[in-house]
Amino acid sequence: MTSLAQAGAPAPAEPARRRPRRGRARDASPGESLAAYGFLAPNLVLLGLFVLLPLVWAVWISTQQTDGFGAGDFVGADNYARLVSDGQFWRAVVNTVLFTTLVTPTAMALGLGAAVLLDGALPGRGVIRSVLILPMAVSGVATALIGVLVFDENSGVLDGVLRALGLPDVAWQSGGAGAFASVVLVTLWWRVGFNMLIYLAALQGVGSHLHEAATLDGASAWQRFRYVTVPMVGPATFFLLVMNVIYSFQVFDIVFVMTGGGPQDATSVLVTYAYENGFVTRDQGYAAAIGVVLLLLTLAFTAVQWRTSRTRDLTE
Amino acid sequence: MPTPATSPRTPAPGLARRRRERRLLVARTAGAVLVALVVLAPLYWMVVVALSTRAELLGGQLRLVPRSLTLENFERVLTAFPVMTWFGNSVAIALVTSAITVVVNLLAGYAFAQLRFRGSSVVFLLALSTLMLPVQVIMVALFRLVTDLGIYGSYWAVILPSAASAFGIFLARQFILGIPRELVEAARIDGAGHLRVFLQVVLPLCRPLLAVLFFMALLQTWNDFAWPLIALRDNALFTLPIGLLYLQGQFGADYGGTMAFALLSVTPMVVLFLLFQRYFVQGFARSGIR
Amino acid sequence: MDITRRRLLGAAGALALPAALGGCGGFSTSGGSASGGEGTVSFTTWGTDAEVAGLRSAISRFEEGSGATVALNVVPYEQMFSNIDAQIQAGNPPDVFRVPYYTFGSYAGAGQLLDLSPYLESSFADRFTPQAWAAVQNGGAPFGVPHHTDTSVILYNRAMLADAGITDVPATLEDAWTWDQLAEVATTLREAMPPERYPFAYNWQGNGVTRWLSWLFQADGRFLTEDLAGPAIDSDAGRAAVEFTQSFFAQGWVPPNDTITSSTYASDTWYAQTVAMVWAGAFLVPDAEATLDFEWGATFAPQQVRGGGDFGGNALVATAGASDPELVAAFLTSVTEEESMREFCVGASLLPTRADLVEQGIEFDVRPDLSPVFVGQASVVQPEDSGQVASPDMASIITVLQDQLEAAFVGGQDVETTVTGLSEGIAAAVA
Repeated sequence: MTSLAQAGAPAPAEPARRRPRRGRARDASPGESLAAYGFLAPNLVLLGLFVLLPLVWAVWISTQQTDGFGAGDFVGADNYARLVSDGQFWRAVVNTVLFTTLVTPTAMALGLGAAVLLDGALPGRGVIRSVLILPMAVSGVATALIGVLVFDENSGVLDGVLRALGLPDVAWQSGGAGAFASVVLVTLWWRVGFNMLIYLAALQGVGSHLHEAATLDGASAWQRFRYVTVPMVGPATFFLLVMNVIYSFQVFDIVFVMTGGGPQDATSVLVTYAYENGFVTRDQGYAAAIGVVLLLLTLAFTAVQWRTSRTRDLTE
Repeated sequence: MPTPATSPRTPAPGLARRRRERRLLVARTAGAVLVALVVLAPLYWMVVVALSTRAELLGGQLRLVPRSLTLENFERVLTAFPVMTWFGNSVAIALVTSAITVVVNLLAGYAFAQLRFRGSSVVFLLALSTLMLPVQVIMVALFRLVTDLGIYGSYWAVILPSAASAFGIFLARQFILGIPRELVEAARIDGAGHLRVFLQVVLPLCRPLLAVLFFMALLQTWNDFAWPLIALRDNALFTLPIGLLYLQGQFGADYGGTMAFALLSVTPMVVLFLLFQRYFVQGFARSGIR
Repeated sequence: MDITRRRLLGAAGALALPAALGGCGGFSTSGGSASGGEGTVSFTTWGTDAEVAGLRSAISRFEEGSGATVALNVVPYEQMFSNIDAQIQAGNPPDVFRVPYYTFGSYAGAGQLLDLSPYLESSFADRFTPQAWAAVQNGGAPFGVPHHTDTSVILYNRAMLADAGITDVPATLEDAWTWDQLAEVATTLREAMPPERYPFAYNWQGNGVTRWLSWLFQADGRFLTEDLAGPAIDSDAGRAAVEFTQSFFAQGWVPPNDTITSSTYASDTWYAQTVAMVWAGAFLVPDAEATLDFEWGATFAPQQVRGGGDFGGNALVATAGASDPELVAAFLTSVTEEESMREFCVGASLLPTRADLVEQGIEFDVRPDLSPVFVGQASVVQPEDSGQVASPDMASIITVLQDQLEAAFVGGQDVETTVTGLSEGIAAAVA
């Protein structure tokens, strides 16, 4: 993620960040390495003990046929072989990918839109900005409970509003598409604030003189947005892309509380499916295998992102 | 849309242009207000439900503008549950976790940003990749681990795994990269050790970063529920989000009580958030995500 | 291997944790083991206020009599069992915990529970009704005590029925509606009601899917063979139950979101007067009485070939590694004595499992007039019905029921495919 510091090269960045990356490893001294690892030690111990060790453990569990109470038999890749022919698993994969491809760009586009809207002078700007980031402070469980309250088909406020406007009711709970949409909408409500906040921070680095220059050159508002603003917030975009995708792959609270994966698996995602297997039917080896697949998917995506962003750095 | 209206140094505009600008400002304001209303609506509804009687909610008598308000939901929740104990637990766990996270992430951020060492990128990537791990994947193993460590059921069972978060490393590194290397090198030439450079040169410049890191950690710990639910055993040690679930199980479809409790648990974070949001934007802005 | 790992990590933990901070409350790490000390029974449960009050009183009665202590820990129902499972895996479960009958089998079948037969008197079984005792058996031995039961009857909104001209509801078990009569009532209601209201809602959400089995039992069907080793649902009774319940949705008798996975419980829609009737257990009575401002009553669940209902409720079980099995068995015996059970059931509005209490009848604190309906309904549950639900594979069977019924109700999957799917799914689950 070094590229983040550099992709914004045309920006008036601090000199330190422009320094070419290559020169850094060259003069690593043994003393400095020792100091560095000293500084890293507390973090590495925590991560190693509470993340990496359990992860290795989980991979080990994924090769076992477990009874859910600790005992297990080694079955090699059997759990993974089972996944291939498990329709519910593929449904969860498709839903996870669909959820991610819906939520990520939408949350980012809305976040950028809101940030641009609030970057300029505007009456009540501070208040509006506060309102937009407010959902960030609400817990996932509370958010989902609010979602249940709003989207309830019988007594929910949303269908009431739709009815009052003369629009047809939407089957937010009993229809697959409606339920999926309700989960996406609640997630957007919860996540757009974070996206806006990051973009807002990024926009503070876009000097107004660039816009002025573009205006003098006769660029329209859209052209200024497309050719000045969007490239300038590139690093933030990359950061948010990774963050949103990681979050979307891991969505749990909202689905768990709002729909429980239903109706008919329409909102079942990998984490809820893994949870169901691990903690409801107690097939923990299988659940661990699903988790490992999820992890691999995330890593693969991030690697691709990483690669594209590096290529972009080189070409720019 | 970025508009020239934001710039004080716009060349003298003509009358037509000024009118156009005004129209644009009105449109932008209307857009912003609309967005704000959409975001606010569910929160508003939550407050309305928390302040309404259950009969009103069930009878479908709730109006967008309620006719009468009641505190009975709050009273019921506060008398039926040890809310203050849970509140205290949440505060203790969130503060300690955040403090640990901030310290270890700052230290790591300094190493990644200012020190040259073998394996730097590998370790950095490895640390970051831990972010991609959903806790459900490792929950069983993690549980056995905290039990073996003898900390199951205590605050530490929640604090230590939660503090093992790499989110802050990334921000800290980006932020500290922005500190001119010359400053650090000058201090080094004066004979200061790395720890002294960190404490006396780097740390004082990191205040906005501290605010961001601390607050992000606080927010995450405060709202976390999946892991604390597994790691804590005694009712007296529960945190607020577990309490929320607990209450849901007690009252069933008591939306009023649930929302009242949710409101109680959410309010401290919202207030802190509103108070410190300026530092927040600043901290993010200076951490190089631009 | 295990011991070395544990010792190693323990040592690491001791080094890593600043002892200075170990002083106050939640920072203390001494609470590593859930099992109580000598003369202590650790007991984990969830429960409503009334249930917990009943339990506490039973506990103090036991403590006075025996001189032992009971460490009660009340936790949220949600994920109570992931917590218990995790503790079992880590080797430190509580001595006693509360468990629904449909979850009982998965613990008993995996050898996690204490076989109580050596510690109970030979006549102990006689204190319970046969269907209750059947619900805590595994491989012919008792692995718990039936603490209480509950079963679903029909709660109705008097005014909504009256508006449709329905003023007579069955007053005795023998007169309970047949399926045809229920269909007639539903059709009448459907015609009389506005489209956004519905005749009834059924409480099969989530794990409540086991309550769908009541229809199967009413058709005199089974879902497991007598040895619990194979599926028995591929039968005329199975087809009839699927067909009838599926028609609820097609006919508009239930709200479209009265599905298995819905986050809206059936009782909510009845509270909100969206539906005229709802299937509900006795546990709901105090809350309904306190909340509802319309007039309501209760009548028996329908019958077809025979009466049938769900054997809901919870058992109390001891874990296999309980520190003092004798003491634990004494505790379980004490909790199911007449006085303790009556107090618990009356206060919490739940049904007793003791034969003598069923015979005498009990009177709930709240709406005692409804007690006979619930107690009567519970009596139609057959031991072979409740025995099937005690299957060790019930957790997987529940998933099969959820998936297949959801496909039938929401996805319009036809009866034959659904019954085949159920049968194959159950076969795979018990294999």
